Amino acid sequence: MELLTVENLSFSYPQAGGRALENVTCSVRRGEFVALCGATGSGKSTLLRLLKRELAPLGERSGRILIGGTPVEELPASASARTVGFVMQQPEQQLVTDRVWHELAFGLENLGLPQAVIARRVAETASYFGIEDWYEREVSGLSGGQKQLLALASVMVMQPEILLLDEPTSQLDPIAASDFIATLRRLNQDFSLTVLLSEHRLEEVIPLCDRMLVLEKGRLLESDAPRRVIPRLGDRPELLCAMPAAARLGAALGAQTCPLTVREGREWLGQWLGQLCRETSCEQPPQACGKEQSSPQGAGPAGPPALCFRDVWFRYERSLPDVLRGLSLTVAQGELFCILGGNGSGKTTALGVAAGLLRAYSGSIRVFGKRIREVRPGDGCVAALPQDVQTVFLRNTVREELEDAGVRPESLPFDLGGLYDRHPYDLSGGEQQLLGLAKVLAASPRLLLLDEPTKGLDADTKRGFIRILRELQASGMTVVVVTHDVDFAAQCADRCALFFRGAAVSVGAPADFFSENRFYTTAANRMTRGYFDRVVTVKDAIARCRGCRREGAPHEGN
Amino acid sequence: MRGIESPRLRRWLRVLLPAVVMPAVVLGGALVLDERRHLFVSVAVAACAVLLFLAGIERRRIGSRRMVIAAVMIALCVVGRLIPFFKPVTALTVITAIYLGGETGFLVGAMSALLSNFYFGQGPWTPFQMLAWGLIGLFAGLLARPLKKSRAFLLCYGLLSGLLFSLVMDVWTVLWYNGRFDPALWLAAMGTALPHTVLYAVSNFAFLWLLARPIGEKLERVRIKYGL
Amino acid sequence: MYSLSECNPAVAAVCLLSAAGIAMFCMNPVILALSLAGAVCFFLVRNGAGGGKSHLFFCLLFAVLALVNPLVSHNGVTVLFVLNHRPVTLEALLYGMAAAAAVVSALYWFRSFSQLMTGDRLLYLFGRLSPRLALVLSMAFRFVPLFSRQAKKIRQAQRALGRLREGNIAETFRGNVRVFSILLTWALENGIVTADSMAARGYGVGRRTQFSVFRFRRGDAVLLALTLLFFGGACVSLACGALDMVYYPALVFPECTPLALAGYLCYGLLAFLPSLAQGWEVLRWSCLRSRI
Repeated sequence: MELLTVENLSFSYPQAGGRALENVTCSVRRGEFVALCGATGSGKSTLLRLLKRELAPLGERSGRILIGGTPVEELPASASARTVGFVMQQPEQQLVTDRVWHELAFGLENLGLPQAVIARRVAETASYFGIEDWYEREVSGLSGGQKQLLALASVMVMQPEILLLDEPTSQLDPIAASDFIATLRRLNQDFSLTVLLSEHRLEEVIPLCDRMLVLEKGRLLESDAPRRVIPRLGDRPELLCAMPAAARLGAALGAQTCPLTVREGREWLGQWLGQLCRETSCEQPPQACGKEQSSPQGAGPAGPPALCFRDVWFRYERSLPDVLRGLSLTVAQGELFCILGGNGSGKTTALGVAAGLLRAYSGSIRVFGKRIREVRPGDGCVAALPQDVQTVFLRNTVREELEDAGVRPESLPFDLGGLYDRHPYDLSGGEQQLLGLAKVLAASPRLLLLDEPTKGLDADTKRGFIRILRELQASGMTVVVVTHDVDFAAQCADRCALFFRGAAVSVGAPADFFSENRFYTTAANRMTRGYFDRVVTVKDAIARCRGCRREGAPHEGN
Repeated sequence: MRGIESPRLRRWLRVLLPAVVMPAVVLGGALVLDERRHLFVSVAVAACAVLLFLAGIERRRIGSRRMVIAAVMIALCVVGRLIPFFKPVTALTVITAIYLGGETGFLVGAMSALLSNFYFGQGPWTPFQMLAWGLIGLFAGLLARPLKKSRAFLLCYGLLSGLLFSLVMDVWTVLWYNGRFDPALWLAAMGTALPHTVLYAVSNFAFLWLLARPIGEKLERVRIKYGL
Repeated sequence: MYSLSECNPAVAAVCLLSAAGIAMFCMNPVILALSLAGAVCFFLVRNGAGGGKSHLFFCLLFAVLALVNPLVSHNGVTVLFVLNHRPVTLEALLYGMAAAAAVVSALYWFRSFSQLMTGDRLLYLFGRLSPRLALVLSMAFRFVPLFSRQAKKIRQAQRALGRLREGNIAETFRGNVRVFSILLTWALENGIVTADSMAARGYGVGRRTQFSVFRFRRGDAVLLALTLLFFGGACVSLACGALDMVYYPALVFPECTPLALAGYLCYGLLAFLPSLAQGWEVLRWSCLRSRI
């Protein structure tokens, strides 16, 4: 039975040229888990917001949206608020009140339910979501993952029939994001809750979902099960690049049934290689196929050091534990260096110390041979872009922002051309990142420190960002990036370091680094481990597979 | 404990409280108390006035967006008060009132007094601060048009209201201590508070000088974007 | 009976405000002494020996306030000595001491009040009066730590860009203005998400109810009844003029009538009620524990 039906929906924003949505027709059955995919600006958010009447943007709309057979605009106000749950991207801002219990009760209070009913519903929701332990805490003390879980719980407490989520995990670290998606899956399975989710991080969502809707420039391109949709995206790299690693490999090599998870990917790759061996009657077991001998690259830096930590210790306050515990690390000039690690491993702190914002109490930090105390921020030596780029926006337009920082637009390695008259906060996440980067580059630093620059960016924007980093590197800049995103690091880094409890526990070029890690590695590496050596990106994997096929017989070495 | 459930009772209370109970409390206190009736009357009147204003705001339907902006401005006042040499409450209240109306101005002024006293200490002075800052906002809202037009007027208003605020609070200090007003004590109180008053006035002036226009632009943009 | 930190916020507020209120509007030395003793006792019971600095501050304040009046006011008939051709009188000194006691005891009461009435408890009180204001306050309570943290981040970001120099006061002020301006933009622009989230969860659909985790238990009723009883007694005594004290021109102490004695007894119990409630709870727990 259709719970949600969209018929010929078109929408355009006031004072905007084209249409944000064009003739979209789709429907969602009760209990379905549907993923909404598409690049930034493809109309995902617009569609989701139109489905939730209270959040519907102003503009010109045609077509119909039915929820349970009733047009959305004819639903009574309280029914509309209750039936359709909406979870947004920002964990911090979508919470309203100051206490966890009050946040849970907020929606029910709005509906005017009596105290006893609220008490019961809040209690059962809190125990289902495991919130009991922090029930009376202040919201400000929660972690990002907890905040987002609370946002979900405080929507679920209203007992919605359909749950809409607009990129709910884009601001979370990978572990919190997996937990969140696992919770969604549990809700879907336990209550047959209808879920419509837009997401950039599709690695985990695609295997779960029953159906995916693919939007491109406001048009609905596909609406089918992922196994059928993904092979059809083969000629659209900008959409395909967001798909799970297994699916991309499968699509590139023309798999009959598209694998979606790492496990399926391994099985499929095994079969594929086995078949290749049989076809070419090679007696090598498939495991050895495509093995390539290579001299492991030296783990040491290649050139003179740009940034050098030696036995650095740091803590925020005397009474608090150490955050950096004897960190030693050297970044060579002209390198693109990625720092990976879990939450609280000291990555961001190390960046702060390198930028001269935090002062280590022991150890030495040298930037281009100079001691860190002699380095002044903003004098063309080091510049840092914080994780939250909105902390550098002050003016009303992009043009004024650039003037404020003293940037000459033609000196930038990227084009902000069409954005000059826009307000910084009206830009997309990727554009904001570029504007922030432009402001930082104004001081023409030799060492650029970036904190989580790819957070919340879609896969295609991420590819563009990597290109820009490469160009900066080519112009002689040293770039240090702190990131959670292993795929990003595998694609762009010259070397990576893994932080754990305030020290760098392993350092190496991505191929060595990730193939030596077992857990902290890319999906492509986990999938190809044992079949190929030192493969960390899907691109590598595809190239190696194709290489095998071309060679015919996979010989070991040559 | 429940809220008052019966709508009839609620309606009666709505009339009785402002019309009968509050004057009765004020008058009764004034008659019964001997030595400190000035103090009592002042506290009672300030508290009643604040309650009445806020009750008026409670009864109006205020959209969620205006509420959020008010909460944001209140929190900014408090955060600003925590920065040394930075006392933006008056200035922010005035700016908010100009762009969003006197009622929101009153709300922001009064509530930031209440909220910031969580960090600076609640006391019997709380209702006075609430009333004083609330009124500064209310009047700024009434004078919104000339204040928006003339920067000099805005700066004067900010400076004067900041000074008046300090002077009135000194009157209250004297009342609290002495039970009745005494000009000699008032001068003494003003004298001891002078460095603070001057710093406050200067920082207020500088704040309005530097930020009135940018904040105004930002509020205006948000007002359009939020559709207020 | 529970300690005030355990009981219903409304009861705690009534209890503390009535104890502080009477002492604020009455200049009777016995009442003021009781109020000061009760307030200090409650503060000590709650905070133990800690807070030495604030005690020192309050002592100094008491001394200053007690001495200001005789230096400024020259009413009264009993001249102690002459300073700068102006008489310093016993009446003015005593009046000063009484006023100082009133102020300092109120400060102690309100210090305890602030400690007890944390944000959520105050909101509970406000929610009874006005759910909408309570919601505004609740949001503001949430924003304050959020904005403080964001201000810190902005400061770091601006320093990393070399846009924040800390030299003289003017530069510091300018830097603060810059940080504050960025914070304000951030707060307003992101506020729209909060507003959307409120609307999405049905804010403004109809009449709101108020949910709270605080309940009204039997012990609260007992405490409230006792508070009102003692407060009423003290008020009656006060209203009948049994506690009136005259300072100027000459000291006239109130007579020791039964009504006055009843007033003292009631107020004394009221002033020590918070401490007693706390002590009662400590006692009960130690009994319970010894039985376990």
